[in-house]
Amino acid sequence: MRILIVEDDLEAAEAMARGLGEAGHDCVRGADGEEGLTAARDGAFDVMVVDRMMPRMNGLQLVETLRREGDHTPVLFLSALGEVGDRVDGLQAGGDDYLVKPYAFAELIARIEALARRRETGSVQTLLKVGELEMDLIARTVHRVGKEIDLQPREFQLLEFMMRHAGQSVTRTMLLEKVWHYHFDPQTNVIDVHISRLRSKIDKGFDRPMLQTVRGAGYRLDA
Amino acid sequence: MKLPRIFRTTPFRLTLLILALFASAAFAFLAYIYVATAGEATRRTDQEIKREMRSLVDVYDRAGLDAVNQSLIERAASEKPFLYLLLTKDGRRISGSIEESPVDGFTGAPKNATFQVTDIDAQGREMKHPARGLQERLKGGEILFVGADAGEDEAYVGKIVGALRAAGLLVVILGLGVGVLVSRNVSRAMSDLINVVERVRNGESGVRARVRGTRDEFDELAQGVNDMLDRLERSMAGHKHAGDAIAHDLRSPLTRLRARLEAAYIDVEAGKGDAEEALAQALTDTDGVLKTFGAVLSIARLQAAGEAPNPVVFDPAELGADMAELYEPVCEDKDIDFSAEIARDLSIRGNREFLAQAIANLLDNAVKYTPSGGAIMLRVRRRSSGEVEYSVTDTGPGVPDEDRERVIQRFVRLENSRNEPGAGLGLSLVAAVAEAHGGRLELSEGPGKVGEMGPGLRVAFILPRP
Repeated sequence: MRILIVEDDLEAAEAMARGLGEAGHDCVRGADGEEGLTAARDGAFDVMVVDRMMPRMNGLQLVETLRREGDHTPVLFLSALGEVGDRVDGLQAGGDDYLVKPYAFAELIARIEALARRRETGSVQTLLKVGELEMDLIARTVHRVGKEIDLQPREFQLLEFMMRHAGQSVTRTMLLEKVWHYHFDPQTNVIDVHISRLRSKIDKGFDRPMLQTVRGAGYRLDA
Repeated sequence: MKLPRIFRTTPFRLTLLILALFASAAFAFLAYIYVATAGEATRRTDQEIKREMRSLVDVYDRAGLDAVNQSLIERAASEKPFLYLLLTKDGRRISGSIEESPVDGFTGAPKNATFQVTDIDAQGREMKHPARGLQERLKGGEILFVGADAGEDEAYVGKIVGALRAAGLLVVILGLGVGVLVSRNVSRAMSDLINVVERVRNGESGVRARVRGTRDEFDELAQGVNDMLDRLERSMAGHKHAGDAIAHDLRSPLTRLRARLEAAYIDVEAGKGDAEEALAQALTDTDGVLKTFGAVLSIARLQAAGEAPNPVVFDPAELGADMAELYEPVCEDKDIDFSAEIARDLSIRGNREFLAQAIANLLDNAVKYTPSGGAIMLRVRRRSSGEVEYSVTDTGPGVPDEDRERVIQRFVRLENSRNEPGAGLGLSLVAAVAEAHGGRLELSEGPGKVGEMGPGLRVAFILPRP
């Protein structure tokens, strides 16, 4: 994947580029808003990671400009501002996701991959298939090797998100945000308990577990 | 030269200003009285003179010059306060009580004049009185002058002027006196406040202005200053406490983190296996530190803003149901009986994210402190006051009555729960969210003691009606 990193903190940008490079991605860096804009106009990127506060042109202006020019590359905003209002501003400016500093690298890469994936699956699917697991989005049914699995509505949404991001790590915060639509930090293991309920339904009685725990990151659904 | 302090006070200056205004008004008043009275006296004298003149002219018209002459002599001898002079056509004196006419440039038309008469009083002193006179030509060509001493009227005017002058002086003296008195009183009231301000500026704390109970604006000001100081000191104490607590809550995990990293570094350097375990634990520790930090930041921002950002109006049942759905499995996992009682068709105004965070924190706490076999209940209802209340009741150990206020304050964790996980910020953040929404937190006892359970805690998160 080609990723553009627009970040004025050079050390942070360096660390990010190295980490993404190790994960097999190709990174281009811009040290401020104007450099970022030039780079974004030049090359086709799969995802852009944009810091909100930068000299010369801030992240919001950069993304607004790109969106006006018809560039719809997914954008992940990075910000030291974590208030709800800041997040809303970022999303209104045309950002697709918002991550507050400091963040876990696993969180960053999970979100970048989720953004890229979303772009790939632009067409409307009515049937999701991951390995032995099949989900019919119209009939609202789930089968594993032909056996129907009965899910609660929220479990269904949770599994749908996991299936759409199969093979990728998704973090607990991402799940709370994307499945429950709340942006906060639960202190107890609420998400873990929901995942373990889901796991008991889709993996119980099968030899190979599909829903994996990724240490230090979150969960991953493997085919 | 420096004026004594009393003369520099605002009330004294105001008094002076008012005094100046008052004195000007008094002067204008005086001037008017003078002009009006003096004019009136002259007019009255002129009228009397004219009446006398008419009656003499009448005598002349009816009985001729000799009769007038006779009448003049009689009148002059009587008590009448008039001066008379009868002249021939060409101005020679025929008779009268004065030697010559004080009227200059007489053309024949009736003419008034003001002049001075000299008198000798009882003590033999020469007295000059102002007088008025009227001169007219009679039908036969003779000239008649009638005058009158205006002295009495003038004296009357003089008395009035004197009285007014004295009154003016009295006004100035009284005014100055009152000014000094008022200034003193105000200064005394102010000096207490100034003293308090001075002492606070010098870093003293706990100083308060005296409220005298007079319910005047000084009392109001003193009360206001006291309230402000209370608030500031509470906030400062909060910050200080927060600083200490941040130091405490961040130092331990940071110390642990450092030790772990150091140990791992030594191990790796010595080639003794991999550092994976240590690094994983270090990451967990870092997350804990960041969580604490995030909570501190949220509280600080909410308190600084004083209001919830991006408020929207929504149904509290929705949020309640979401939270119930989110936490029910956690409870089940820990063998806690979870129930929710959610009233429908209410509305609240607020920031959905912060409110969700607050309810989640309450449920987190309940789950943390309720032992297996216990129960937790989430309730959303409308209070009779119209406020909307989210409440979480648990069957944990509860919080002793005397500690309830304290647990809401920042970072406070009860001593006996120090070893439980959690940054101690949970309820503080909830309280900050409530406050930012114009609401409040109420802590009370749960369902009571049942065997090993209880007495439990009930935390009510109360929001004002939108």
